[in-house]
This record gives sequence, C-alpha cells and structure tokens, in this order.
Amino acid sequence: MAKAIGLITANYSTKFPSPLTDGRPAASIPFLGRYRAVDFALSNMVNCGIRTVGMIMPYNYRSLIDHVGSGREWELTRKGGGLFILPGSAFGTSRTGSRFLLRDLIHNKVFLERDNADFVIVSACNWVYNMDYNELIDAHVASGADITVLTQAARDKDVDVCGFEMDGTRVKGIKHGVAFGDTAFLDCFVVAREKLIELLDWYKANDYLDLFEALTGEYERVNVQAYNFEGYAAPLFNKETYFKSNMDMLDPKITHELFSIRPIMTKAHDNQPAKIVTGSKVSNSRISGSCRIYGTVTNSILGRSVVVEAGATVNNSIIMQGCVIKSGARVENAIVDRNNVLPEGTELCGTEAAILIKDKA
Amino acid sequence: MSKKELLAMLLAGGQGSRLYDLTKDVAKPAVSFGGKYRIIDFPLSNCANSGITTVGVLTQYRPYLLHSYLGTGSAWNMEDGVAILPPYATQTGGAWYAGTADAVTQNLGYIEMNDPEYVIILSGDALCRMDYADMLATHKKNNAELTIAVMPVPWEDASRFGILVADETGRIVEFQEKPKEPKSNLASMGIYIFNADLLVNELKLDDANPDSSHDFGGDIIPKLLADGRRLYTYEFNGFWRDVGTIASFHETSMELLGETPSFDLFEKDFPIMSNTLSYPPAYFGPDAQVDDCIVGNGSKIYGEAVHSIVSIDSVIGKGAVVKDSVLLPGAIVKDGATVINAIVGENSIIEEGVNFGSADADKDYAFCGNNVVIGKEE
Repeated sequence: MAKAIGLITANYSTKFPSPLTDGRPAASIPFLGRYRAVDFALSNMVNCGIRTVGMIMPYNYRSLIDHVGSGREWELTRKGGGLFILPGSAFGTSRTGSRFLLRDLIHNKVFLERDNADFVIVSACNWVYNMDYNELIDAHVASGADITVLTQAARDKDVDVCGFEMDGTRVKGIKHGVAFGDTAFLDCFVVAREKLIELLDWYKANDYLDLFEALTGEYERVNVQAYNFEGYAAPLFNKETYFKSNMDMLDPKITHELFSIRPIMTKAHDNQPAKIVTGSKVSNSRISGSCRIYGTVTNSILGRSVVVEAGATVNNSIIMQGCVIKSGARVENAIVDRNNVLPEGTELCGTEAAILIKDKA
Repeated sequence: MSKKELLAMLLAGGQGSRLYDLTKDVAKPAVSFGGKYRIIDFPLSNCANSGITTVGVLTQYRPYLLHSYLGTGSAWNMEDGVAILPPYATQTGGAWYAGTADAVTQNLGYIEMNDPEYVIILSGDALCRMDYADMLATHKKNNAELTIAVMPVPWEDASRFGILVADETGRIVEFQEKPKEPKSNLASMGIYIFNADLLVNELKLDDANPDSSHDFGGDIIPKLLADGRRLYTYEFNGFWRDVGTIASFHETSMELLGETPSFDLFEKDFPIMSNTLSYPPAYFGPDAQVDDCIVGNGSKIYGEAVHSIVSIDSVIGKGAVVKDSVLLPGAIVKDGATVINAIVGENSIIEEGVNFGSADADKDYAFCGNNVVIGKEE
C-alpha cells in the first residue's frame, strides 16, 4: 500500500448520549462491554498498515488517555512513528457538531508536516465498523479525487449523522442530519498529506468552521468523491443509536464481520473468564470477562466484572463494567453506567421506546 | 545492570510426555489452562505478585509458542523483561540441557550478569499461587543457605515424592527420594531459594563431577546436606497441582468450578495475568443452557454446557452438549455433537453428531491434541 498516516479527531463531544458523556468524552464511550468507541478508528488504521497516528484530544481526556495509554495494544509503541497525543479545542466541538474543526487541524499542522507519508486518513470515532482502509486509499488513487469521503446509505433517520448532497459519486455539499437512504458520512476521509496542508492554508481565515463546511461553495473547485462502504457500520451519536448499535451485537453474523475478519484491539485487562453458576440462566446475551452470573440475564450486554446475584433479572439492557445487580433487583430496557450497585429489590425499568439511563456511580 | 535481590530461574523446558497429544506441538508450560491462561502464567504471575521483576525462562522442548507467548514479559509486569534462555553453543561446543541443575549451570553467565543476592528456582509446569517474597523472608529469617518449598501430602502418597525430613526449627536433616518408608510427609515442590554465591559454586562443582546426573533433587540437595549446609523448609499449605497427566489436568480443571472452588480464579489478592488477544465478550445464544461453567471471551454457546471449561474463542453448536469437559481455546463442538468427560485441544473440531468421551466413570478421559478434526468413527 501507499504509505499513510492516521489522524483521529477524538474531541467531538455529542450533545447526547448525555449522562453517558457527562464524565467522559464520546471517544471513550464503552461499547459491547469491553471496547470503547475509539478502538474502531484506531484498529482500522493499524490493521491497514498505518503505524503513525495522531489523536486530537478532548478537554476531558482522562478516560481516553487511560484507555489508549502509549498505544501498546495497537502496536503503536515504537521508535519510528507511533501514537501522537495532540491538543484540541478547549471545550470540544459540541456546539457546532463539527467533526473536523479546521482550527484543530491547523494547530496540529506540524504533525502533518513532519511525516513524509503520501496520504492521511482522518477519522472521528463515533462509528463502529471494521474496514480495510486500503480499499479507501485505492479508490482515492483510482479516481484522482482531492478528497475521498467514506459513506454509506443511511439505514435510519438520524439528526446527529452528517450527510452529503451528491451528484453521482461527487460531493456537492454537507448537511447535518440524514433521512433513510441519504448518503451518510462515516466521518472518515482520505486525502494526500500535501493536499491537506494546502487546504488548511487556504481556509485558515475560517478556522472556526468544519473542513467540509469551509468547502461549501468550493465543491466545484475541490473534487470530493464518496466511497461507499458495503459492510456493517453503526453510529454512536445518541441514546437511541447507542442502544441499538450495542444490541446489534447480539447477532453473531454482525460480530463475526466486526471482530473476526480483522481484530479490533482494545486495552487488555487481566480478567478471569466469566463464571456462570448453577441456578443461573443466560440467553441471547454477551457476557464479558470477570462477570459472575447467579441470576437471569436475557437479551443483554454485560461489561467486565458485573455481578448478577441469584434472583436478580436483567433483560434487554446494557450493564457496564463493575455493576452489581443485587438479589431480587430487576433491570429492563435500561443502560446502567459503570460501578452501580443496585440494592436488593430495585426496579430499574424503562420501555423499549424510552430506554432508561442510570448514571455512573 | 543493577544488582537485584532476587532473580527467578523458571524451568520451562519440560515436554510433559504424560500429557500425550496435548504437548505434541507445545511445551507443557504453554498448554492452555483455566479458560484463557497457559500454565506458565501461574508461576509468572506469582513472580509479579511477589515483586520479582527479572525472570530467566529456560526453554528447550517445542519452544515456538512458548517464546511468542512470553514476548517481552510485559504482560506480567516484568520491567526488566523475561529472558528466554534456550540451550546455546560456545567455543567448546553446545549441548541440550541434561537435567534441572544442568539447565541452570549452562546459564550461570545469566545469573552472574544479573548479580543477585538470591536465586529462586521455579518449575514452569505446576499450578499454584504462592508468595515468593514470603518464602524469601523465611529464608532470611532462618539465615538459610537453601530453602525448599514443601507441602504436606497424605502419608500414603508420600512414597511418590521427594520427601524432606526436618527438625522442629524447619532445618532439613534428611532427604528421601521416593522412599518406601517415608519419615515425613513433607514433599518437595521443586521450588528452591539459594544464596546466589552458594548456587554458583555448587553448580560449578556439580558440572565437574562425572558421576552426577545434574539434578537438583538427586544431586545438589543430597550433597549440600552431606556438607552440613543450612537447608530449611518453607511449608506451603495452599493450592498446588502438577497437572502432569491427562487425568490430573482434567481433575484440576474441574477444581476451578463450583460456587466456592478449591482453586478460585476470582481471588482478588493474587491476580493471574496472561497475554491473550482481544476477543469480544462471550455470546450466549437464545437457546443456550449453561450451568456451572467458566466461559472465556470470544466463545459462542448455542447449545448446552454443564460443569465445563469453555475457553476463549471456542464454540458449542446448536443442540450440542458439553459436560464435565474442557474445551481449550478455539475448540469447536459442532451442532448435535456431545463431549463428555473429555479434553478438546486448541482449535480442534468435534464434527456434527459425534459423541466424544463417555459418561462411564470407569473409562479414561477422552482427549485430543491441537488442530485435529474428530469425525464419526468409520
């Protein structure tokens, strides 16, 4: 492959999945029990051979740094290249909803200038998918475009997903919010490294804009092509899509595509295998390491070290790391954030239409 | 290199021939155990939990998987790294490790390079949780020159072990190798702490002795006793298993199960570390029935699993039953197959509808090695 470097804008902060993003950046929202949102962008880059990744940090970066560390799990602890932690805007980009704020890219131009790679893959980390980015680079080279954006026909209406106005495969404009079937932006694009530096110089007077907003009116001059990703991709922008995307992981066909073809790396923990005790009942669920299940778990996703005591029931819910569901408690249609201890007899029930969120303890 | 108080030498060259096909391709310390671990994780985690940061691992038999698994040793927080020590050649030639003591003798240079005060000799193929720092404290308190970890065994089994006879202060007065009439029931666990100077000298003497079989139990310990050296026992009463045979491997695996297992992986104070790949959480299908199991990440259970170890990345198909068994990582039990009282090797496949193993308690455990396919009998 042509040599590429990666740039992850990890400072997008969503208006939602609110209580879930009160204490952590969107990039480190837990997904499927043991992963975090950033794992997908980072692993996709490493899996296609990228060994130099810059990560523009959100202001509340504690959990993200805790997770990525020096990049060891992604083989980015190395002498040449590796993981570069880059500064981002003071309070993230939630107000404008932009993914690729020019100011953030311009401030980190040195990262782009110091390398001699041909291409840069720039990605946010609010989408879950597993892709060989070499496909994207190949398509980019073949079309001769200035920028090639990764897209997919929207599977649902979503006000938080960006979409493109299209003319064939050529982008004519960007918009916030998509309807079913629209060309949804997977918040990832490839561009020649020198071209990106040039674009940043062109638009530095408008550095409060997102790159693709700055291009508005310029799409005749700048050739932006869309490349359609055929595989599974799921957004993590709000409570509804967060819940739905997690629940998709109860389909082994989807998880096979997402985790088995190329690995998704994540921070390693010394967790024991899960322990399923006599008298328990677990069906159609995902159970992470160090869980201990004495009660009933159905249609649910459990993070690491969750204990479900005898007589407790968990149905259609996401239980994050370290929670204890005490005997006789009942959880249904809920997202229970980390380290909650639900006392005996607690009823924590939302409805399918209105999923309940219990904040981090 | 800075001086270290305690250096560990981990003997990991053993074949484990009585594990038959389980060690056909891998050394015994690299055999999978407990859902996600390999046997060597236990002594290495003990080292980490005891504050030991430098470990030499002596390898010989089928080393590839073991070497790649060890990596730099960072998975066990070995800040000075794990040094992999296979047999090597010198100007005067080279030789395989001829015995436990010979393996260490051939690496005296490694010990001298690290210049420790004490050396702990460990076995890479036994399962236990042990605080080596406490053993060292006992060694120092006794002003001993060699301390041997011992474990009380039932008197009727004592004649199967190397037995140490000690006085009331713990000082060893006699060593009996597999005695017909044991005078003590304290069995050697093959874990030794030596004063480093003594170890280096004795190994050099042993190396020059043409009559020696170069074994710690058979040669070094009897000689030190005869010399009147200060040898002490360190009594250990926790969990210790050798898992040297198919039966003991199976039985020890089963000891991980139950609500209060005799070997509890969930014990908080002494975590077992490992070097495994990332897999998604285990998947339990809509009709899964799982009773008293430990289940590793990446596994998929569509059928029934009872009182079994379901290791990482293994699969139990629809209508399949796995009972009182051990599925090693990546094992696949296809739809409708049954696995009872059995061990299925890594990445091995039990084909659809096959019955592997038997509920008949008089029969031996069924087992297969790694990467094999068990089809219907012709």
